[in-house]
Amino acid sequence: MDIFNVYLPIAGLKFNVLLLLLIGTTVGVCGGFFGIGGAWIVTPALNIFGFPMPYAIGTDLAHMGGKSIVSTMRHSKFGNVDVRLAVSMIIGTTVGMELGAKLVMYLEQLGMAESVIRKIYVVFLLAIGSYVLYDYLSHVRRQKISESKKEETVTYGTTLAQRLQRINLPPMIEFKTSRIRCSLWLPVLVGLVTGVVASVLGVGGGFIRMPALIYLVGCPTLVAVGTDLFEVMITGAYGAFTYGVKGRVDLLAAMWMLIGAAIGAQLGTVAVKYVRGYAIRLLFAVTIFIACASVLMKQLELQLASSVLILTAGIVISLVIITLLVRGVIQERRAVKNGNNLSL
Amino acid sequence: MNSSKDKIPLRALLFRLGTLALVLALAAVWLLPVVAWAAGGGKPATKIFNVADTRAIEPGVSKWIADIYNSSLWLYGGLVVVMMAGMGFVLGYGMDRLVRLSGINLGKLDHHE
Repeated sequence: MDIFNVYLPIAGLKFNVLLLLLIGTTVGVCGGFFGIGGAWIVTPALNIFGFPMPYAIGTDLAHMGGKSIVSTMRHSKFGNVDVRLAVSMIIGTTVGMELGAKLVMYLEQLGMAESVIRKIYVVFLLAIGSYVLYDYLSHVRRQKISESKKEETVTYGTTLAQRLQRINLPPMIEFKTSRIRCSLWLPVLVGLVTGVVASVLGVGGGFIRMPALIYLVGCPTLVAVGTDLFEVMITGAYGAFTYGVKGRVDLLAAMWMLIGAAIGAQLGTVAVKYVRGYAIRLLFAVTIFIACASVLMKQLELQLASSVLILTAGIVISLVIITLLVRGVIQERRAVKNGNNLSL
Repeated sequence: MNSSKDKIPLRALLFRLGTLALVLALAAVWLLPVVAWAAGGGKPATKIFNVADTRAIEPGVSKWIADIYNSSLWLYGGLVVVMMAGMGFVLGYGMDRLVRLSGINLGKLDHHE
C-alpha cells in the first residue's frame, strides 16, 4: 500500500491517495444527492487520518467548490437550478454570514461561544430532522388515505410556504424554474437567516438551506437540491480563496479528493432522477439525525468515535444512494424494453 | 591603603566580561530549548510559518505547487480557486460524457414529489 502514499508538502504529511479518493467519492455522492457541501463528513474524516484541523477545513472548502461545479452542471441540465432564486438568496446569505460572524465574536467576548454554538447546532439538527421526518410520515399517511378512498388527489391545506408566498411586498418576482411567485424579500430574508445560522455554526449551510428552500420558499425538492448546490459552489470558491491566502489549503489533497468527488457527484446527481422528492427528504432526515448524534458525541468528548461514526455513516448512505441509482437504471431499461415509462 | 593595588587592569576586565558573556551565551543556548520543551510539555510543534518543505520533493506538480506556496500566498490562493474551478469544469464535462455513453437518459426531469 506504500505506493499509494503521497507526500503532501503544504500539510506536511504523507497520505494515502486511495483514502482521499474514498472520502471524495463519499461526499460527492451525498452532496450531489442532497444538495449539500458535506463539510461535516470531510473535515472530521481528514482530521482523524492526521490532517491538522485548519488544513482539513481549508482543503475541504477548496474541493467543495470544484465538486459543486460538477453537481451544479448536471442539476442544471436536469432543470433543477433556479439561478434567479439562488442569486436572490446569495445577497441575504452574504449579509447573514457577516452578521453571524459578529454574533460569534460577541459570544466569544462573553466566553460562551463554544458551548452555546454546539447546543444551538444540536437543537437545529434535531428540529430540522424531526420536521422533515414528520413531513415524510404525513405524506405517506395522506397517500394511504387517498389510495383507500381511491381519490386522485387529497387536499393538503395551506402550507407555511404558500402563506409566505402570498405576502404582497413589492417587488414581486416570478421564479420560473421553481414555479413560484413571491416577494423578492422572501428569498433574501431566508438567505439572511440561514446565513446567520450557518456562520454561527461554522458550516457551509447546505443542510439548513435545502429544507428552508422547500418549507419556507416552496421549491420542489429537486429544485431545492440544485439551487442549493449553486450557492455551495459560490461559498466554496470564496472559502477556497480565503483559506488559500491564509496558507491552509493542501491543493494536492484537494485535487485527489476532487477526482473522487467528481465521480461521486455525478452518481449522486443522476440518482435523483430515480428517486421521488419525498424519498430524498426521508434519507436527508436520517442523515441529519446521524450528524446530530455525532455532535452530541463530540459534546461528550468522544472525538474519535464521533468522527468514525460520521465517516461510516457517510459511506453507508452513499452505498444506499448508489443502490437506488443502479436499481433505477435497471428498472428504466426494463421499462424501455416493455415500451413503458416507469418512475420509482 | 594603596588604592592602585585594588584596580583591575582594563585588559583583564575586558577578558572577564568576555568570559561572562560567553558563559551566558552558552547557558542560553542550553537553557532556551529546555524552557521551550518544558513550556510545550513535549507536544509536537505546530507550523508557525507557512513554508512547504521542498527539499525531499522531486520536480513535478507537487514541487510546482509547493514553490508557488512558498513564493506568494496570494498567488497560491488564486491558484487554488483556478485549479478547483478548472478541474470542476473538466471533470464535470468528462463525467457527463461518460454517463451519456452508458445510455442513461439525461434529459430534463419532472419535479414530482
